[in-house]
Amino acid sequence: MKKIIFSIVLLSFSLSTLFAGGPWPQKKGFGYFKLSEWWVVFDQHYTDTGLIDPNVTTGVFNTSLYAEYGLTDRFTGILNAPLLSRNYMNNLVSNTTKEVLIPGEAINTIGDIDVGLKYGLTKEGAKLPLSATLILGLPTGKTGGGTQGNLQTGDGEFNQMIKIDAGGGFSVKNTSLYMSTYVGFNNRTNGYSEEFRYGVEAGVGLINKKLWLVAKLDAVESLKNGDTAETVTSTSLFANNTEFVGIGFETNYYITKKFGISASAAGAFRGEIIAARPSYSVGVFFDMSK
Amino acid sequence: MKIKFFSLLLLIFFSACIQDDFIDDEVDPILRITSNIDTLAINTTFQLESKYLNNIGREEEADVTWSSSNSSVISITENGLIEGLQLGVSTITAQYNNGEGVLRDDLLIAVGETTTSSPLVINGEIATTSSYALSGDFTYSLIDDEVVLEFGDNYVASTALPGLYVYLSNNANSISGAYEIGMVEVFSGAHSYTIPGVGFNDYSYILYFCKPFNVKVGDGEIQ
Repeated sequence: MKKIIFSIVLLSFSLSTLFAGGPWPQKKGFGYFKLSEWWVVFDQHYTDTGLIDPNVTTGVFNTSLYAEYGLTDRFTGILNAPLLSRNYMNNLVSNTTKEVLIPGEAINTIGDIDVGLKYGLTKEGAKLPLSATLILGLPTGKTGGGTQGNLQTGDGEFNQMIKIDAGGGFSVKNTSLYMSTYVGFNNRTNGYSEEFRYGVEAGVGLINKKLWLVAKLDAVESLKNGDTAETVTSTSLFANNTEFVGIGFETNYYITKKFGISASAAGAFRGEIIAARPSYSVGVFFDMSK
Repeated sequence: MKIKFFSLLLLIFFSACIQDDFIDDEVDPILRITSNIDTLAINTTFQLESKYLNNIGREEEADVTWSSSNSSVISITENGLIEGLQLGVSTITAQYNNGEGVLRDDLLIAVGETTTSSPLVINGEIATTSSYALSGDFTYSLIDDEVVLEFGDNYVASTALPGLYVYLSNNANSISGAYEIGMVEVFSGAHSYTIPGVGFNDYSYILYFCKPFNVKVGDGEIQ
């Protein structure tokens, strides 16, 4: 089986769940739903030495549904489903002869779906809300697409991530603020290295809480205990041990009490074997808790 | 507001289309005599071969003009067939006008008792042209009519790339038209490749590319 990961897909989850998430479970019967378009187009990447090298321009576009729904006051179900994922590479053209040397290709499939369950470790009103989350990454996307086997809309492996979130909301001069942080461990299969993840998020509510500005830092540190090109079979194409530290910014605006629009940008400022261009997202959301 | 929204959608739509990436692959065209012969036995013939490489290093048909500096020692036909007429030396010249100028290559050949050719061996070094690790000494030689590429103990290549391949090419920046030796399976230490069907003088560079993502990793010059 061919496996190719430039691990651009993993950014889509961690940086598309800005604003929602955190240590606060949804109340029973309430939920948060978001339909968004996330994309990254990159012509350079971080290499295994952390430096940046060029590559053929590659694009990944995910049309995703993200949902949180309160099963009980403590348990919240989570779904992140890239309903349509597109991965393409540009034509490689001779600047001398203008001849197409290597034709570009694209695949369009469903992406890797994440399902999860969040449990509120503290009761509502706690000074320091805590939650524990289990996320299962299902290999519903496609790997090894295209004639070179270099296109992907998933990583082809079933992973399980455990995450602990903590945070709190407060007010300063009648302005609502919140901060949260998390640590997580991602157990990966199929020869991929396990990962330690962490992040912090802060948001501020303006215009009577209609406009929320959010900033977030996410990091993935690989344990580098998986396979490399040296240890897999000669017919495999394999990249592993992706790492990054990235920041993201998001704006959310409630057009009505429950319905709003959002836009975000995120990118890694340190990384290994990962795209070295920013990703963007626009979406609409429905927040039942308001 | 609606115009901005639809402009954004159009921007996303068009950025999701396959476009063109341009690669700077221009090289100087060359004409190369690829035959290996030092001495031609008297009263025998030998067919010389040449190769014209265009401005992207790709082989093209060429109407080559052959000449001998001393036709009383070595005669040559318009197709490059030489004959040793008497003991001595002569410089054989191949010429081709590609429309932008006249290209030429020379080969000094002696006429003696037997036909001989010198051992073909080039020692070189591969080096990274990226930030991925790649280094080591190599020997490029012709053994029993087959090209053999041998790497020394100091060879090291990055294991982080998906699909690292090694090629022979006449363009240091492109694997278009290159000979694909194969996927790299040894990432440190001595090893070798036997390359069938390739002439010793056919290629100018050893290239290391991450094939799936068209990322050049490094190269080594063999001419």
